Amino acid sequence: MENSQVKVTCSEVVRHICDNLGEQLNSPKCLAIKEHIAECPDCSKYLNSVEKTIDLYRQYNFEVTDDVHSRLLDKLGLGEKED
Amino acid sequence: MINFSSNLSETELIELAKSGDRKALSLLVRMHEKTVFNFAFKICRDRDRAENTMQETFMSLVKSIGQFSGNSKLSTWLYTVVSNHCLMMARSNRKYSETSSYDDDEVYIDEKSVVDWDVSPEKITENNELKRILDEAIQKLDPEYRIVFTLRDVEGLSTEETGKITGLSVPAVKSRLHRARAFLRRELNGKLAS
Ligand SMILES: [Zn+2]
Repeated sequence: MENSQVKVTCSEVVRHICDNLGEQLNSPKCLAIKEHIAECPDCSKYLNSVEKTIDLYRQYNFEVTDDVHSRLLDKLGLGEKED
Repeated sequence: MINFSSNLSETELIELAKSGDRKALSLLVRMHEKTVFNFAFKICRDRDRAENTMQETFMSLVKSIGQFSGNSKLSTWLYTVVSNHCLMMARSNRKYSETSSYDDDEVYIDEKSVVDWDVSPEKITENNELKRILDEAIQKLDPEYRIVFTLRDVEGLSTEETGKITGLSVPAVKSRLHRARAFLRRELNGKLAS
């Protein structure tokens, strides 16, 4: 509704963390950042790139293979004798 | 005899494991091994070291489960042990020291050079070249930054929990997170810009 009093620059958008994992999403600063992002193609590209980087990294998951699992249990003295 | 196929909570399993129940302990291991292994891999950057770290982590768990306090989360504890183990290995293996450039605050203020990659993450994972580029970028991150970035952005923990695990203050977590993100972005951006 009301335009926020706080003015932010692109650098501040880049510096300041107000994302969906974060806190204080409704602080005046974060609201101003949100407004800025909506109107600034550079910042929205920037944040988009960050998101994509994180998505990529998240996809780096291995299954724990049976080999790895049984070596682990052996190491722990919990070797599998399913009962 | 306890029926393990019923949904025992983690807290109940921990209590059983404390009283020496091996099956409960195995179940706890099974519940957390994938997270521990992948987190260790993301921090250690090496499959063998990740497996070794996972083994050490669960060995510590077996040894000290008796003292495990009911009001802390097991995952928090596991992340902490993995982080410490990987940092120890990294420090004794000092090839990481020539990496940084994120102490330079200006590094990420070049908004104009940002490239918007018109590639969906699904496509990207199919592309070995991009995978390699990303991998190299992550490799260059100092482990201390990699840990913060991984805990908060990849594992999705809160800033507070990340701070607890790493022993850092909330502002320190935020500043490291930001530099790690910016560093990765800059690395990828430079590589992907044509
Ligand atoms: Zn901007």
